[in-house]
Amino acid sequence: MSTTAFPNRARVDALAKVRGEAKFAADLVLPRTLYAMTVPATIAKGSLSSLPVEAALRVPGVVRVLTPEDFPAPPPYSEDGPPPPPTLETIIAYRGQPVALVIAETLEAAIEGAEVIRPTYVAEAFACVMESAGAQRQPADEVAFGDAPAALSGAAATVESTYDSPTQHHNPLELIATVAVWEDGALLIHESTQASSLVKGAVAGALRLDPARVHVRGATMGGSFGQKAVQRQTALVARAAILTGRPVKLVQPRAQIFHTATYRARTRHQIRIGADADGKIVGVQHHVEQEQSPNGYFAVSEYHRDVIRMYGIRNYLGTGADIRLDRQDSGYMRGTHPQPAFFAFESAIDELAHKTNRDPVEFRLANDTRVDPQNGHPLSSRFLNECLREGARRFGWSRRSPVPGSMTASDGSLVGWGMACGIYQSATTPAIATLRIDARGHTRFAISGHEMGQGMRTAIASVLIQDLDIDPERLEIALGDTRAAPQHMTAGSWGTNSVVPAAMQAAQRMRAAVADLLDGRQVSGNLHRKLASIRRPFLQVEVTTVGPGQDQAALETLRQGGFAVAEAVYPEFSTFSYSAHFLEVRIEPRTRRIRVPRVVSIADCGRVISPRTAHSQVYGGVIWGLSHALREATEIDPRYGGYLNEDLADYVVPVNADIGEIEIGLIDQPDPLANPAGVKGLGQVSMVGISAAVANAVFHATGRRIRELPIRIEHLL
Amino acid sequence: MCNDPDVAPEIPDNQLLVSRRDAMIASVAVVAASHFAASARAQTGPRQAALPVSVDQALIIRTSINGQTLEIRIDARTSLLDLLRERLALTGAKKGCDHGQCGACTVHIDGRRVASCLTLAGKVDGREVLTIEGLAGGDTLHPMQQAFIDHDALQCGYCTPGQIMAAVACVAEGNATSRERIREYMSGNICRCGAYVGIVAAIEDAAAKMGRG
Repeated sequence: MSTTAFPNRARVDALAKVRGEAKFAADLVLPRTLYAMTVPATIAKGSLSSLPVEAALRVPGVVRVLTPEDFPAPPPYSEDGPPPPPTLETIIAYRGQPVALVIAETLEAAIEGAEVIRPTYVAEAFACVMESAGAQRQPADEVAFGDAPAALSGAAATVESTYDSPTQHHNPLELIATVAVWEDGALLIHESTQASSLVKGAVAGALRLDPARVHVRGATMGGSFGQKAVQRQTALVARAAILTGRPVKLVQPRAQIFHTATYRARTRHQIRIGADADGKIVGVQHHVEQEQSPNGYFAVSEYHRDVIRMYGIRNYLGTGADIRLDRQDSGYMRGTHPQPAFFAFESAIDELAHKTNRDPVEFRLANDTRVDPQNGHPLSSRFLNECLREGARRFGWSRRSPVPGSMTASDGSLVGWGMACGIYQSATTPAIATLRIDARGHTRFAISGHEMGQGMRTAIASVLIQDLDIDPERLEIALGDTRAAPQHMTAGSWGTNSVVPAAMQAAQRMRAAVADLLDGRQVSGNLHRKLASIRRPFLQVEVTTVGPGQDQAALETLRQGGFAVAEAVYPEFSTFSYSAHFLEVRIEPRTRRIRVPRVVSIADCGRVISPRTAHSQVYGGVIWGLSHALREATEIDPRYGGYLNEDLADYVVPVNADIGEIEIGLIDQPDPLANPAGVKGLGQVSMVGISAAVANAVFHATGRRIRELPIRIEHLL
Repeated sequence: MCNDPDVAPEIPDNQLLVSRRDAMIASVAVVAASHFAASARAQTGPRQAALPVSVDQALIIRTSINGQTLEIRIDARTSLLDLLRERLALTGAKKGCDHGQCGACTVHIDGRRVASCLTLAGKVDGREVLTIEGLAGGDTLHPMQQAFIDHDALQCGYCTPGQIMAAVACVAEGNATSRERIREYMSGNICRCGAYVGIVAAIEDAAAKMGRG
């Protein structure tokens, strides 16, 4: 594990980004490109009865219109993994489902062509919100240990409440873009994706192509936050490229993305929690219901995974249910399951601390644990209490007046100080990496991974530049390219902890290989010069790494483009990241507008490899948490299905003026067991708990407990 | 020009827009050639920026983009953003919403910041357009670009060209006089990654170096 802290280096791709030179998928301008536009279904459930395309074909510039007839039947069921997304079908499963693809010489012609297509439908009754008649309720697996009902019946104090978190859409600023090129019987797909290998498999499966002839090049990503895994549009664009023999580009309009991409499911959490007379939590009952598509797999039981490891809770009963609706699949969105779960759980903790007249920081400090409460295994590292103490110190928590409504500003604003904690599992994936250094000054490192802006490329560069005497200006880090290295999906805060150990091992092996080559000779200069001196054009090493408890099988799954995550409840220990957030709200006396002038957020993510990008990631996590608390909610139209606020004017996310001062701290203590680098995940844990801290601060300011997000002016009137 | 794309001879020959410079030269050549429509089709010269399909309502505009004069025939429906990106290969300005809601497409027209997605390309006839590609002086970054690097005022980088163009204008307008004012006048540019803290710090820093604010 890394025993010394890493220096603060600039983001390696910042120069290209500030010059406008970073190439995102839609920035690819190829000769003879055709432009595509999808035609979305205008019913929520039913089937196509006619799809007249003649009007579109009469639009000057329209080359072709793809309809369901242009696609092969779906592949047969396979136990190897989920089926690829459907292509174009006559059965309509959700409003906004693509029913046709117009291909034209220009974007303007494609848009006009798509607009003149007027399909007709046979509509069926549908259910699109949890309250809809016809919504199917399906109980989920229990997660239980100890005897929570018994423990709670003997508790000195209990609280029981229900908390609601809304449907949300990721809305990365980059639109979902695909450019497909069919050349010499091979398909090359340029797409913004955090799962290039899964895209490859899905397109090959949907179009019945030999996977060996499908290559996916994940471009620079304009944010993703869980959205850009496998898209329905990819196979459509690929098919268009095959049928026309020309490159085809589709940049999906944002309003359509709301209907086709995944989203964060709305959830309702019922929590009953109790403490004994000493302020120790004795048990928790937690029931979760979430909205879910007819065949969706986003697991309810995972809402419990992180909650049960937050504190030393010995008795837990977790239950849940899916509410099956006629909508597209929900999915992973930054903070994933813990995000809504911790709005609920950390609000409930605050309620319990208040009921037992305990300071919320002291209450949490007293409920620490050294072991995984579910299985008794050690936690490989846990610096939650350090986060709490450091955050409280920086924020000035000791100056807080505990009585709700007791702090006001000079302008009459109500002031509330709230805090909450976060936790997120630190999972790991296997990696296969190649490091090549040549005598002409170039270094290339190729590995599984996708750069979404989180700074993975900078973290890898930090390691290689620190460990190897190479020219940093000519260091190329190939990510997200199925031709460069076997690719695994990058998500779930497993990125840095999966690639950095491989980079370290590659550097170590490279140094050993150079030493072998030199065989005791003293040759001056950096590694490139050394290779040149001994007339070696290049030197290449390959390394493989796996997560704790994984073996060769995981590497084989990676080679096949599959899903090979070692979840953080490892065979002999459990590894989680932690955060503690402190923030101030001010509520204007007349308008009841809520502002957040300052936040202090401290995280334990193990060893920090790239301090600058890590800090930026936490800034982003804090802002995402504030957004979850005060801004974001997707409005679903119960009359027609689909989404009403399908653009960035109506789907409100924070702008610059919404954000005040944010102070970040990282504990930077290496984890001794999880991996040789001592790294743990950071992207999700930085936002988990923020929304509860806001609600807790609003309670402190007003005495009103808001259990429904986003918290709006009308909640406080 | 013929309205039937199947017989419009320009279609098969639109080539890769290799660079901004080539596109400029090419498009000027196209306009020049259009005076001799019949012979233009027979030419083997560059036709990169030719309108790839004939339309009823085409326009010829003359504009300056990043200091280079350009005369080009456009589809009247084309937005400035799509003209820059799809025909001139100036892909720095980004499409984040196409509705003027996010600011990722921000460019300057005659020194003022505008949402290029809401600006019809025809509107820049006779005007000067500055995009992120024209901001630096060769290899020397504009102080705002350097400040964005120094303060890590970005993550994914997708909003960054728009943020920087807006920030340069914010300083020039005299709206970078305090952190509060910067926040207010930069609120037309969404950063979904949440780099606002760095963006404000970068603008404060660059404003001092630009001698304004």
